[in-house]
Amino acid sequence: MNLVKIFLQAAIVDNAILMRFLALCAFIGMSNDVSKSIGMGGAVTFVTVLASAVTWPLYHYVLANPKLMAISPIFDLSFLQILVFILVIAALVQLVEFFLKKNVPSLYAAMGIYLPLITTNCAILAVTFDNITKKYNLAESLVYSVGASVGFTLSLVLLAGIRDRMKTANLPAFIKGTPSLFVATSLLAVAFMGFSGLIK
Amino acid sequence: MNIVLITLGFAFALAFVIGLILGIFKKLFEVPVDPRVVAVRDALPGANCGACGYPGCDAYANAVAAGQAPVDKCAPGGKAVAENVANLMGVSASAEDVVAVLLCQGVKDKAPQKGEYVGVKTCRAAKISTGGTKLCQWGCMGFGDCTLVCMFDALHMGDDGLPHVDYDKCTGCGMCAAECPQLLFQMAPKARVGSVVTCSNRNVIKANVMKSCKVGCIKCEACVRACPEKCISMVNGIPVTDYSKCTSCGICVEKCPTKCYHLLETIEGKPVVVRKSGVDAAPAEV
Repeated sequence: MNLVKIFLQAAIVDNAILMRFLALCAFIGMSNDVSKSIGMGGAVTFVTVLASAVTWPLYHYVLANPKLMAISPIFDLSFLQILVFILVIAALVQLVEFFLKKNVPSLYAAMGIYLPLITTNCAILAVTFDNITKKYNLAESLVYSVGASVGFTLSLVLLAGIRDRMKTANLPAFIKGTPSLFVATSLLAVAFMGFSGLIK
Repeated sequence: MNIVLITLGFAFALAFVIGLILGIFKKLFEVPVDPRVVAVRDALPGANCGACGYPGCDAYANAVAAGQAPVDKCAPGGKAVAENVANLMGVSASAEDVVAVLLCQGVKDKAPQKGEYVGVKTCRAAKISTGGTKLCQWGCMGFGDCTLVCMFDALHMGDDGLPHVDYDKCTGCGMCAAECPQLLFQMAPKARVGSVVTCSNRNVIKANVMKSCKVGCIKCEACVRACPEKCISMVNGIPVTDYSKCTSCGICVEKCPTKCYHLLETIEGKPVVVRKSGVDAAPAEV
């Protein structure tokens, strides 16, 4: 039950884009087409889960290992969290890109163009930090990262659908393009605020 | 001080380890790339305009190297690039540099609207819903779809309601010709020698043409009769010049009663090159 709760919390209640305003660049940039946004969502899901799976042990066994910290406070490296997570996630994405290019070219063709875009995307980084601050164990943090990226995909697909309708709308010139998208996004966010009491 | 040292040490160690791993894996997972892909890609202009029909220069280079695409598809690069690519691929190219010419001169006061158009303000939508907003169903509607697809900033809407080609910038990629629902753009030789009829009205009834546009072709065929080289022929109700024979003598331009024949040199009011037969180009005053 706890895992279901965490999943819903991450996907809907704390939606990375609509409730926490993260990854807006990718959100606006990749939502002009429904199929593209689904591809982007898939790539984000993949990288987020991978990043969580790597950064969680990294933090708990290297940066803030309680056994080492008991020996001397000098081993408390948790302040290096941001630096290390960014570097490790970026390198990881690169590595995955090499691997896919060689071994799974079809998946690389479908997802490869999105991978450089989401190298340490702020939503992904936020999920890895949340795993630490919310004191999740490894299973919980994996579920949390899946939930967060499903929420990301959901809002991306929602905006892509809205953009399809907005293409033929007769908007005043000053609000055309990105400004109108942010208005649509904030209206979506208002709708998502209704979920805020869903999980106790 | 301790914290600074720890941070430095840790960052260096981490960067070293990551760099090492990435380097090893790059070699381990290296995909052999056809060297011709790189060479072809370098020879292309890199505008990623899509005129070749591929998503970008990279995709086109891949297709060329794989033998799936002809070498002369890059319109912005023109003849020079086609020859370079052909050399790299070991085949011969036949490409000619071209520019876009608008085959309509129905400016606002010459070609009247058939009513007030309220709807989506794009040429394509207007064409689908009304069959053209002007009395002349072949004429330019002037919503500027073509200016939006031009990757080279060479097309701009003028105050007269027609798009104007900037021939310093036009690369002849043909995106405007593909976009125009009225098929009003014709690709003409970049040397701009020869004459062209800047009208697309296919209506053979003279009275109807004159009613719908003051500068339309009325099919009098004076140009066909007057041409000393016999290089003008009527095709689907419009005179068409054969550029392999045309000498740019300008007789058809003089004979045209509705002033819809022009020399390519003088289109857009910018004579770039004046050519007399046999004598080569000398730049003229603008």
